[in-house]
Amino acid sequence: MAFYYWYQNDPELYQAEVMAMQKFFPQFKINQLQDGSGRLYWRGKVQPIPGGLTWDVMLIYKNDHPHAGVNEYGGSVQILPISPRLKDIAEQTMPDLIKTYGTYDKCAQRGFGLGLPHIYRENFGRNEEYFICTADPKYFKTNQAHSTSAATALSWACKWMMLCEMWMNGEISDDVALEGNY
Amino acid sequence: MDNQNNDAVVARRRALAEALKNGQDVVVAPSGEVEFKEEAQADGQSAIQVPSGKLA
Repeated sequence: MAFYYWYQNDPELYQAEVMAMQKFFPQFKINQLQDGSGRLYWRGKVQPIPGGLTWDVMLIYKNDHPHAGVNEYGGSVQILPISPRLKDIAEQTMPDLIKTYGTYDKCAQRGFGLGLPHIYRENFGRNEEYFICTADPKYFKTNQAHSTSAATALSWACKWMMLCEMWMNGEISDDVALEGNY
Repeated sequence: MDNQNNDAVVARRRALAEALKNGQDVVVAPSGEVEFKEEAQADGQSAIQVPSGKLA
């Protein structure tokens, strides 16, 4: 019998996800969204660079985890920073970007259409929120032997947070931020 | 933060920025701190290797 939720269909994968998070990020706690979707999420805090921000983040599984469609940036684990909120940061960075590149369209062509490198927007609850594009879908593993876990997605996200903070602080250039090599 | 600590943080961030530019392999400690592999090994931490790839 097939269930709608990945964690019911594949209890072993669920256990593996829990074990990986407990091993690598033990401060994160798992819970279920209270929006009727049945989606599971992890929430916790990380500080990717010395002297940098502490990020309060949610790692939200899609119900078809593990999955990565062609345009599904970050695969089936979505990374939503609660604090700082990306939408708030982007509102602060956009005026400077427009000053640098001349127009909004030129910012967008460059890859800064949302005000930060490597993010995407999606409705979450009643609000539109900005999520971290952790990895190109081709790097998100979805096969039975190896699937990308929330722990791996968070490791990508920590590197993104480092990149974002350094970019905002002028420690790396727009080119390096947009290149996004891992 | 005293000057010595401040200098250490600046040097550390500079090294990490270089690692970003060069696409160098890094790991992430349980605190979320991005580190070099050798450091995590020396500390005996259960740091997770950031897989190779590109941001979407």
